Amino acid sequence: MLESELEIELEADGSTKTKLEYLTIDWFVNDYIALIAGKFLSPIGQFRQNLHPSWINKLPSAPPGFGHDGAAPISDTGLQIRGGFPIGKIRSNYSLFVSNGPEYITEWDGAGFELDGIDAEGKGADRDGEKVWGGRFAILPFAKLEIGISAATGKATVTSIEDELGTAPTLSNEQPRDYNVFGFDYYYKLGSVLFRGEYIKSKVGNATSGVSASDGGVWKTWYTQASYRIPRTRLEGVIRYSDFDALSASKDQKQVAIGLNYLFASNFIAKLSFESNDGQSGATSDDDRWYIQMAYGF
Amino acid sequence: MKNILLYTLLVNLSLPLAGFSADLSKKGNSAVGAKVWSDNCGRCHNIRDARELRDDQWKTTVFHMRVRAGLTGQETRDVIAFLTSTNNPPRRNIFSGSSSTSSSKTKLSGKQVYNQTCIACHGENGKGTLPGVPDFTRNKGPLAKNDKTLIKNITDGYQGPGSPMAMPAKGGKADLSDNEIRAVLVYIRREFGK
Repeated sequence: MLESELEIELEADGSTKTKLEYLTIDWFVNDYIALIAGKFLSPIGQFRQNLHPSWINKLPSAPPGFGHDGAAPISDTGLQIRGGFPIGKIRSNYSLFVSNGPEYITEWDGAGFELDGIDAEGKGADRDGEKVWGGRFAILPFAKLEIGISAATGKATVTSIEDELGTAPTLSNEQPRDYNVFGFDYYYKLGSVLFRGEYIKSKVGNATSGVSASDGGVWKTWYTQASYRIPRTRLEGVIRYSDFDALSASKDQKQVAIGLNYLFASNFIAKLSFESNDGQSGATSDDDRWYIQMAYGF
Repeated sequence: MKNILLYTLLVNLSLPLAGFSADLSKKGNSAVGAKVWSDNCGRCHNIRDARELRDDQWKTTVFHMRVRAGLTGQETRDVIAFLTSTNNPPRRNIFSGSSSTSSSKTKLSGKQVYNQTCIACHGENGKGTLPGVPDFTRNKGPLAKNDKTLIKNITDGYQGPGSPMAMPAKGGKADLSDNEIRAVLVYIRREFGK
């Protein structure tokens, strides 16, 4: 099976940006194994691989730290096996992967370098030649509960510079740094109320050699969400709390998001939401926001 | 080089066909599929109407969901059996006696039919396990309707006002007989009716 998602975005300057979110060839080896090759959504946690499409996400935005340059990886390019199998009467599902892994971004402040972010999006080229492996395992003790843990480990290298001054030296002899990410996620249904949440922590090691040698860092984020479909109506209420700790204080964010959805159909949803954000004073992470969104799922 | 690319493309395009046909050579169980469908789809998204897509579209979609939801191959076949049986409902009124395919012989008791076919969506207590599924125990709920209407709804499928999804014909178990439908209605009234 060939699967793909094409993303078309309108930029602030009016230009159009197109992007391949994922593209995989899936081979169903047997009843318990599917082999996935290509650029696939990261199996770390649940949000990116299963919940990010707008008609599925019950709020218009991703939780802080689960978007681009966050704590949770977006996608990988490589090989993956995944599937499900019963353990007695308990159902389970799994994924294992090896991939090109992320690359790092460093920032030049005129005097030195400081690690800025993890570019954890699968690319066609493996510029640093380093690999990452990992996976996720989840059990469903009963149909209304799923608990998953995920992790990945490997090495990655700084490959790009944020340089507003335009004076940064050229990268060379960059030392591969450790890369470790851990995730925990859950889903629980209580009557008509759905609870879900996840925690992701990404840790990058130090580099003592290379032009951009600097200390490593930790990015971590978590959210928990409850949604309630009002019986015999097309209305659904949602509330979500998130806390994202980035290496840069200006990106730290605590957020309470509340939303009200109207379901024209299961896959055609109008959303209205408000986000109360608490970040560094003066930073965009501190701004509150209203969202209106129409989402249609094919 | 062009030949290699073309060969690779053809092999890749043939994989899903080979994979699907190999997987679908084994039979799925529509009653089990109804439960797998109701247990798993709602873990991530609102449950789609079983009549929303054609059979061939459901096959592709459910294989996509096998990858996403971590279903086994057998669970995938069961869900496809459920969804395709839903798309091929027997369009008839059992009071007319015009069916040539439906047996009047009762093989299963009302309780057995309910536990195998209805329970996935309507629940053990009859109050519904999914958004939009009506509560049998309400005074002015579905059981306030007469038997003729309810048997027609069970036989042909039904979508209530405000519900995002429809109940498939015969709950997705296409081989239910007329007597089994009557038996399950008697069971539902006895267990959940006021």
